Amino acid sequence: MTTARNLACLSIFLLAACGADPAPGPVEQIIVREPGATPVASAAATDAAPANTMLADGKAAFANCAACHTLEQGAPNGAGPNLFGIVGKAAGSVAGFNYSDALKASGVTWTAAELDSYIADPAAKIPGTTMVAGAIADQAKRQAVIAYIESATTN
Amino acid sequence: MIKLNVNGQSKEVDVDPATPILWVVRENLKMSGTKFGCGIAQCGACTVHLDGKPIRSCSTPLSAAEGKTITTIEGLASEDGTLHKVQQAWIEAQVPQCGYCQSGQIMSATALLKENPQPTDTQIDAAMAGNVCRCGMYGRIRKAIKAAAGIEQPAKVEA
Amino acid sequence: MGKWSRRAFIGAGVVAGSALVVGVAVRQGNPIDRLSPLLTNGENEQLLNAWVKVDTDNVVTAVIPHVEMGQGVYTALAQMLADEMDADWNKVQILEAPADMQYVSDSIGRDFLFPNLQVPALFEPTVAGGILELAQAMGLQFTGGSYSVRATGQRAMRTAGAAAREMLVAAAASEWQVPASEISTADSMLIHAKSGKSEPFATFALAAAEQSLPAKPKLKSPENYKIMGQPKARHDIPEKVDGSAVFGIDADVPGMKYAAVKAPPVIGATVESMDATTAKTMPGVLQILNMGDFVAVVADGYWQAQQALGTIDTQYSKTEGDSLDQDAIFARYASHLDEAGEDGGDMQTEAGDVAKGFAEAATKVEAEYKVPFLAHATMEPMNCTAWVRDGKCDVWSGHQAPVNARQAAADAAGLPFEDVTYHNAYLGGGFGRRSNSDAIIMATRIAKATGYPVKMIWSREEDTAQDHYRPSATSRFKGGLDKDGKLVSWDNIHTHLFDPADAPTVPYYNIASHKIRKVDVPMHLRFGPWRSVDHSQHGFFIESFVDEMAHAAGKDGYAFRRELLAESPRHLKVLETAAKMSGWGSPLPEKHGRGIAFVPSFGSIVAQVAEVDMSGPKPKVTKVYVAADPGFVINPDGFTAQMESAIVYGLTAALYGDITIKDGAVQQSNFHDYPMLRIDEMPDVEVALINGDHERLGGGGEPGLPPIAPAVTNAIFAATGTRIRELPLSKHSFA
Repeated sequence: MTTARNLACLSIFLLAACGADPAPGPVEQIIVREPGATPVASAAATDAAPANTMLADGKAAFANCAACHTLEQGAPNGAGPNLFGIVGKAAGSVAGFNYSDALKASGVTWTAAELDSYIADPAAKIPGTTMVAGAIADQAKRQAVIAYIESATTN
Repeated sequence: MIKLNVNGQSKEVDVDPATPILWVVRENLKMSGTKFGCGIAQCGACTVHLDGKPIRSCSTPLSAAEGKTITTIEGLASEDGTLHKVQQAWIEAQVPQCGYCQSGQIMSATALLKENPQPTDTQIDAAMAGNVCRCGMYGRIRKAIKAAAGIEQPAKVEA
Repeated sequence: MGKWSRRAFIGAGVVAGSALVVGVAVRQGNPIDRLSPLLTNGENEQLLNAWVKVDTDNVVTAVIPHVEMGQGVYTALAQMLADEMDADWNKVQILEAPADMQYVSDSIGRDFLFPNLQVPALFEPTVAGGILELAQAMGLQFTGGSYSVRATGQRAMRTAGAAAREMLVAAAASEWQVPASEISTADSMLIHAKSGKSEPFATFALAAAEQSLPAKPKLKSPENYKIMGQPKARHDIPEKVDGSAVFGIDADVPGMKYAAVKAPPVIGATVESMDATTAKTMPGVLQILNMGDFVAVVADGYWQAQQALGTIDTQYSKTEGDSLDQDAIFARYASHLDEAGEDGGDMQTEAGDVAKGFAEAATKVEAEYKVPFLAHATMEPMNCTAWVRDGKCDVWSGHQAPVNARQAAADAAGLPFEDVTYHNAYLGGGFGRRSNSDAIIMATRIAKATGYPVKMIWSREEDTAQDHYRPSATSRFKGGLDKDGKLVSWDNIHTHLFDPADAPTVPYYNIASHKIRKVDVPMHLRFGPWRSVDHSQHGFFIESFVDEMAHAAGKDGYAFRRELLAESPRHLKVLETAAKMSGWGSPLPEKHGRGIAFVPSFGSIVAQVAEVDMSGPKPKVTKVYVAADPGFVINPDGFTAQMESAIVYGLTAALYGDITIKDGAVQQSNFHDYPMLRIDEMPDVEVALINGDHERLGGGGEPGLPPIAPAVTNAIFAATGTRIRELPLSKHSFA
């Protein structure tokens, strides 16, 4: 059950004006659940899940990559470069991203196979890369992520 | 339920497998020595060992640890409580200041020495460059690693 | 102005019938009327600060009214107390004073009142405001301003230790029926050599509490120091190598939930609306709160809260700050400085006839310098755990001023101060950031709304974008040299003045005429103290300009400064020591350079020589030589560590530190766009310590920072001929 409680802003501000409560309470308080209560079935699980299970797995696994990488066209670079249209690009070519010298000099053009070996162990493939996290050891998961990146950036 | 081996003990946790190992260790397993610093593998405060290799636990999902061995700062000392030689060297060289990054520093240093017992200065710098210390104790970290490796002895500070 | 001795006293009493307790008190009254209500909670009540306890098992406990954030204060202050007391260092324990003014004014506190006592002349303040300094440092338990050792340690810990020792001796003399003068003390033992009697302190702890207090406890002179001046190992280090040290973020409260927060990117804006449609459906989510000035998601786990927060679409109010960009900020500084012209602005200090000085000068030099906004980037992001229930509030965090934190939580919870318990933990970096209570207030408000305990953690992105920043600033100089190349006139006008007031001044340099002015420029960003505060800007401004003047005079930077310091032997010695260590004047490889800088701050005098290698695409600092005179060094290893630390903090800022503003918001978010110095860029640092005046102690945490940026930029000039007038160095191309 979801309950939404819109508190009366007016009374809060009046209180604040009186000096009785210098730190205001919430303007809006959505109580989804009390602690300890059983969570209701999440709607997110069915939300826009790709029909293809490989893509679904890839999307789920990409959550971890999203700490550093954006996927949408024109989205800003994070700690890692934006990955829109990465397949087919030369390594170190996303505009505005401060690459390591190692990656720029690697001569790699990103194909699914190149991405696969890179994501398996970035530092082994390109020593000196600043991608120090996000390696995926599991091959099936790696391929799912690459498939998802490809599908999400070429549609 | 996901089965884990943490510091030599079997654990089962019921959390989303996408959850970074950092939060599982801190919140579900209640071991707070591993620290949150940046969330994007840029500072190294969250470094733990996964099958002996240093990883950034803030950016590594729990699913990556299934069936593998995780070692945290709490698991470095031997069972009788004797500190790891790197931890001892850290005390002798009086490395920590605020101390917040030190679990990660020590995990990176122990992984380095396991792989490379006699690292050169360049190798030390390369292995430790992923760990930020805002108190700037890098000089002492270098000394402590060399002392732990038996390369040089630091001037010991009186107890 | 009255005497210090009327307002501050030592006192002694018995706690729980088993221990001698000695303290130093600050009494309510002039001239700290404004401050008194903050310090005491009733007329004639006494605030007791530093104290020492002797237990029946002969353990001496030093209670430290400061917080440990890596600066080693627990150990240094305990050394001061233990040495005066002749305590056995191996049996000294350390306890951080609770953030509790109640305990000092209840019955235990009243036992301490011995209002006719005098404090030794050594501790009388030498400048007006000494009381305020002490009250700030120990009364409010504030840790900052490099005050701990020089104020609390020197004026309180040592007095308390010496008084306790004399009372123990008096008690033993009475029991043994021998003159007190025949009793010696060592390693927590009382010894009467003639009769062969000896007893541990604990034997006489209770009897000592009944002794009349020494009016002027005799303090040791430096030749008798046994523990002060020794490189003692820090007490807090063992638990920082095995993961057991508890920081604020490690608070563990049963039933605790986790909150992730996001505040409007433009400081001062409010949350107009939030769309939490997706967040409501996400796993683990308990509550979603629009707090007006920020949005919070409370969940079973922090990561769940953070993930849900990321899906919330938030609209913010428009503010005047929205239109502000980086260039506009510096343009605003320029226009205010232009407007002030030759004689406008607020005069800070003036001496001699500046106009005449310039009229007669043979050479005139003008220069303008700029420094950026800086974030603190403590390794431990801002966080706080709070629990508000049944008219009580508990708060867990790491704060530089625990009493302030407790008051902030009380205000946020709408509860009286005494109903709030504040639990202070280790600070994962302070650097000034943790003197603000914003995180305390936010967590308390969230906890009040939920009713259950909540741990709020800021993401690194939030920590970077919602800091209380080191202000950016512009500073303009005019200098005049006489025909012999002597600096005779100095005119400086700069934006912003925060603290300390002496930061832009150069009283140690012998300049015939000078005037120093400032202009205030309004800004929507929040500012806060940042390690070494205004010295972090003015150290760069002043020491860059001195170097430019030296160059204009055709003199070497070291020789030029020696002339300016010719009448200040203590200062000169520090400068000369750094230069000698560095082999100043000896040849360096091509594209290498040496730079020197000299900045006294927080009572300590520091000179640094930096060596840079400019053969690559960016500057590489290879070596830093430091000479420091803080009066007397209590813990040489700890003080050296503070010098190393301040150099890295200052060098990080000089190389990379740049918080920029676009559309009113901070553009940086995490360590990839607000980079930190790493181990592969760490220069070798060599430190020489000088004990120049044991009666006037200076600070340790901050004074090592101001000289590093100008030492490096002066070295770059020496190597390349390029004068850096704007930081950080990453803005400049050296290819």
